Amino acid sequence: MKPRPGSPTMKASVLLFSALVLWSAPRLVAQPAWSRPPPAPVTAQDEAARRAAYLARVDEVLAWRASQASATGPLITDMSTIAAKLARHEDLDFCSRSVIAAMKEPGSGPFWMFPAVSVAYLGRDQLSPEARTAIRDAWRSVLQVRGDTENHWAMYYTSLYLMADLYPDEPGTSWYTGKSSAENLAEARDYLIHWMDLATTIGQGEFNPTHYIGEYAIPMLYLATWAKDPAMRQRGRMMLDWIFADLAENTLNGMLRGANARTDDTSVIERWNALASFFSWILHGSTPPTVNFGGWGPYFAVAARNYEVPEVIHRIAVDRGADYVQRDLKRTRRRWRNSDVLMAPIYKTSYMRRDYAVGSYQGGIADPIQTHVWDVTWAVPDPRGVHNTMFSVHPISSGFDMQMYFTELPDQMIKGVTKESKPSYDSPDKFLGGSRFEQVFQDRDTVIALYDIPAGTRFPHINGFFSKDLVNLTEDPSGWIFAQGGRAYLAYRPLAPYTWEKSSSWTENDKGDRRLCSPHLKNGTIVQAADVDEFKSFADFQAAIRALPLEFKLEPVPTVRFTTLRGAVVDCAYGQAPVVNGAKLDYTKWKLFEGPYLNAEKGSRKLTLTHGRLERVLDFNTLTITDRVREN
Amino acid sequence: MTLTGAAVPARAAPAHDLYLCASINQNYVVGAKLVTLSGIYRRAADGSYQHFGQNYPYIISLAVDPRDPAVIQVASLNGALRTTDGGRTWRTGTSWDVTEPKDICVDPNAADHVYLALPDGIAVSTDRGTTWPRRENGLPERGKYTQVIQVDRTHADRVLAGCESGIYLTEDGAKTWRRVLPAKATVTDLRQSPHDPRLWLATTQADGALVSRDGGLTWKKLEGVPSAEALYNVAFDPTNPQRYAISSWTYGVLATEDGGKTWTDRNAGLPAEHCVFRVGIDPDNGRLYAGLYHVALYGSDDFGRTWRNDGLEGSIIYNFVFVPQAAK
Repeated sequence: MKPRPGSPTMKASVLLFSALVLWSAPRLVAQPAWSRPPPAPVTAQDEAARRAAYLARVDEVLAWRASQASATGPLITDMSTIAAKLARHEDLDFCSRSVIAAMKEPGSGPFWMFPAVSVAYLGRDQLSPEARTAIRDAWRSVLQVRGDTENHWAMYYTSLYLMADLYPDEPGTSWYTGKSSAENLAEARDYLIHWMDLATTIGQGEFNPTHYIGEYAIPMLYLATWAKDPAMRQRGRMMLDWIFADLAENTLNGMLRGANARTDDTSVIERWNALASFFSWILHGSTPPTVNFGGWGPYFAVAARNYEVPEVIHRIAVDRGADYVQRDLKRTRRRWRNSDVLMAPIYKTSYMRRDYAVGSYQGGIADPIQTHVWDVTWAVPDPRGVHNTMFSVHPISSGFDMQMYFTELPDQMIKGVTKESKPSYDSPDKFLGGSRFEQVFQDRDTVIALYDIPAGTRFPHINGFFSKDLVNLTEDPSGWIFAQGGRAYLAYRPLAPYTWEKSSSWTENDKGDRRLCSPHLKNGTIVQAADVDEFKSFADFQAAIRALPLEFKLEPVPTVRFTTLRGAVVDCAYGQAPVVNGAKLDYTKWKLFEGPYLNAEKGSRKLTLTHGRLERVLDFNTLTITDRVREN
Repeated sequence: MTLTGAAVPARAAPAHDLYLCASINQNYVVGAKLVTLSGIYRRAADGSYQHFGQNYPYIISLAVDPRDPAVIQVASLNGALRTTDGGRTWRTGTSWDVTEPKDICVDPNAADHVYLALPDGIAVSTDRGTTWPRRENGLPERGKYTQVIQVDRTHADRVLAGCESGIYLTEDGAKTWRRVLPAKATVTDLRQSPHDPRLWLATTQADGALVSRDGGLTWKKLEGVPSAEALYNVAFDPTNPQRYAISSWTYGVLATEDGGKTWTDRNAGLPAEHCVFRVGIDPDNGRLYAGLYHVALYGSDDFGRTWRNDGLEGSIIYNFVFVPQAAK
C-alpha cells in the first residue's frame, strides 16, 4: 500500500524532460539513460574503470534530478530534487527555502521519512538554521505511520535510527513517538537487527521485489553511510551486499526475472520495467534504467558514492557464460491467521542461461496480492516495452487470503486494495498473484504447475500469459503450444481445455498480448524451454517435445509424469512432494543459498559469494567481510 | 477542526461524552500527505464532532481512565499510545514487537491495568500503559489473533478476549487464559450488557451472533441473526434492556427490540450500498449510530426506522466510545 515512485509514461516524461531542457537551457543535460540506446553487453572491467563508470552514472542521476528545478523558479517540495542539489552543493539558499516550505506539510510515514533523512543529512552542514529547525520540528509534531509491511519497517526504523543519531540526548517531548532519542535509537536498532537476523537465517520476506528493492537498498545505504555506530554502518553495508548479490544472481542482462514476493501488473509481463533495473544499471550498467530513474533512484544516488559494489557481485551480475541452477530459501510475509505458521518457507529455484532463464517457487502465496510464482523469461537486445515472459496463474481473489496477511475485517480489503495501487486484484483477467491452489515444480528449464481449485472459489480458472512478442505461435494437435521468444524455443502444455481471450488492461502497452483461459478446477501447465542453438530448426524442437514421454490425469488430483528435455523423469501429484528420477524432493534440506555463486547454510548468518577465484564472505555473526582470491 | 453534524434535538444535557475513532482519508496509502483529519473526534454540545490529538489515520480504539479523563489509552497501527494531558502530548508505549492492536480496555476495578488485543496475542500493562508485557499463557500458538478485548466491569481482573480460535476468559488479570468457546473464524466483538452483567453478546465472522447469560462462561447462538456472512460488532442500548443492534458489511444494521428473540434489518433510509462497519448506541438517549464504510456517520432516534446523515463524510468509524461525564 504505497504511492509508487513517479512513473509517468515514457512519452510524457520525454515531453516533460524536453520542456524542462528548453526552459532551463543553461542547465542542459544529456539525453537521459532511459531513452538512450541500450547499453552494450557488459564484460568484466578493471576496478578503476568500473568505479569511474559507476560514478558517472551516479552523477548523471544527480545532474538530471537537480535540473528539475531552477533556483529562480518557485519553491519545490520534492525532496529528491532538494537532496540531489544538496549532494551537488548547489542552490543552497533555494534548498533551504524549499525545505522550510516542504516541512510545513510533512508526509505521514516511511515514504516521507527516508527522503527527509536524506535531506537532513545532506543538508546538515549546508541548509540554513531555519531549514534545519523545520526538519527537526517535523519529527516532533507529526505522528508518523509505521506501516504494516517489512519494507515499511525497513524504511521507518532506518529513518528513525538515523534521526535519533543525528539529534541525540533529546527528551521524549522532542519526538513524535514521545520517546527520547536514546529510546528511539534502541528500538530502531533492535528491529533492524531482528530483521537482518531473519533475512540471514531463514531468508528474506519480501524477496526479489521488482520495485520494493529500493525500499531496502536505499535505507541500507543510508545506514552504511550515516550511522555513527561502526557496527550499524557495517550491517548496512553487508545487507547492501546481500541484497545486491541476490539481485545479481537473479538477473538476465540486468533484468530481474523469476519469482518475486512482490511485483506489479506491469513488471510481471514487461519484466525489465521495474526499479530493480535502475539498480542493475547504476551498479553494473547492464540494462537501461526505467523512466526518471525509477522515481526512487535519485535517493540512492545522493549517497551512492559511499558504496562500491564488490567485484565478485559485479561478475555474478554480468557473467552469463555458463548455465547455472541456484536454489534459495525465502519466507512469506507474516501470517496473522488462517495459517498454521507465522511465516512459511519459500523454496525458490532459478535456472539461468545466456538466452533465457526459468524461475519459480513451490506455489502458494508469499504475499496476498503481488506475488509472482514462476516464469520463463527470454533475453532481448532492448527490453523496453517488450513482454518477454511466459507463465500461468490462478487469479484468485480472496478475503480469506487477505485476512491471513492483514489485520482487517473480512469484507473491505478486496474493495480497498483495488483503490490502493493494486487495481487488478479483484479481476479475473489479471496476471498478478499467487494462489493457495497452485503447486509448482521446476527442474532446470522445465516447469510443471498444477492447480486444484475448490468449487466456489472466486475466479475458478487459469490464465496463461502469451506475449505479443512471441513469434511462430503454433497450437499443435499434440496439445502442445509452441512459440519462440528471442532466442528461446518454448513449449506450453495446458492440461485442460482452454479458450483465447484478449489480455488484461492493467498494464501499459499490452496490445497484442493474449490470455489463455482454462476454466477447469483441476488443471495444470507444463512449460519446457530450450535454446535455439540446441536444434537445427523450430520444427526439430517441436518434434523433440512431441517425443517426450508425458502422462497425466486430472482426477482425483492433477497428476503428471513427464520426461523433460534434459532427461529427468518427473512425477508430480497435487498435494504431494515432487519425485525426480525416483527420488522424492525433500524441501527440508533446502539451504539458504545453494548454487555456483551464492552459498549459505540455513540459520548461518553467513553468505559466501564466489565467482571464479574471487570470494567474499559476509558474516553477520562477527560483522565481518572477508575477501580473498582463492587458489586454483 | 470541527465537522458539523445534524442539530441535536433539545434534551437534557448529556451524561456521556462520545469519542469516535475515525479515519477520514479516501484511499489513503502509507506515506501520503494527510489532507484531512483522522484519529479521535469528540462530540461537542452542539452535535458537531471536534478532532483532537494526533492526526493519524489508524486509531482503532480507545479507553479512558475512569479516574482521570485526561488519561486516554489508544490502540493504533503503530501500537499503544497514551496521553496523560487530554491529548496534548502522546507517547507510544509499545516497541517494535507490537503492531496493529485492534482493541484496548481499562479495568475499572484495577485502573492501572490496561489490556491490548493484538494480531499475535495479548499484551497487558499493569502500570497504566507504560510497559506492555505479553500475557498469553493459555492462548494457542496459532489462533490467538485477537480482535476484541473487554473487561467484566463487575470483577477486577476478569476479561474476555475474542480471538481467531474462539472466546477466551481470564479471571486472574491475564496470568492464565482458557477458551470458553471455540470459533470457526475470528470473534469480532464482545459486549457486556449495561443492564445485566451476566449477559454478554458476541459477533463473529462465521458463527453468527452469540449470547452468554452466565458472564461469558457458556455461549449459544442467537437464532434469527444471519450467520452466512460476517457480523462486525454489537451494541446494547443502555436505555432499554430489550434493544441490541449489530453491524454487518453484508446485512447492514440488524436490530432487536425484544431481547434478541426477533431481528430485523434497519437499512431503509441508509445509502443503498450500506456497508456498515460499526454501530453504537448513545447511553443518554438510545440514539443508534451507524458508521458506513467510507460513506458517513448516520444517526437514528427511532432505533433505525429512519436515518439521518450525521456528518463525517467519507469516514471509517472504527469505534464509538461513550465515556461518563461523571468521570470528569
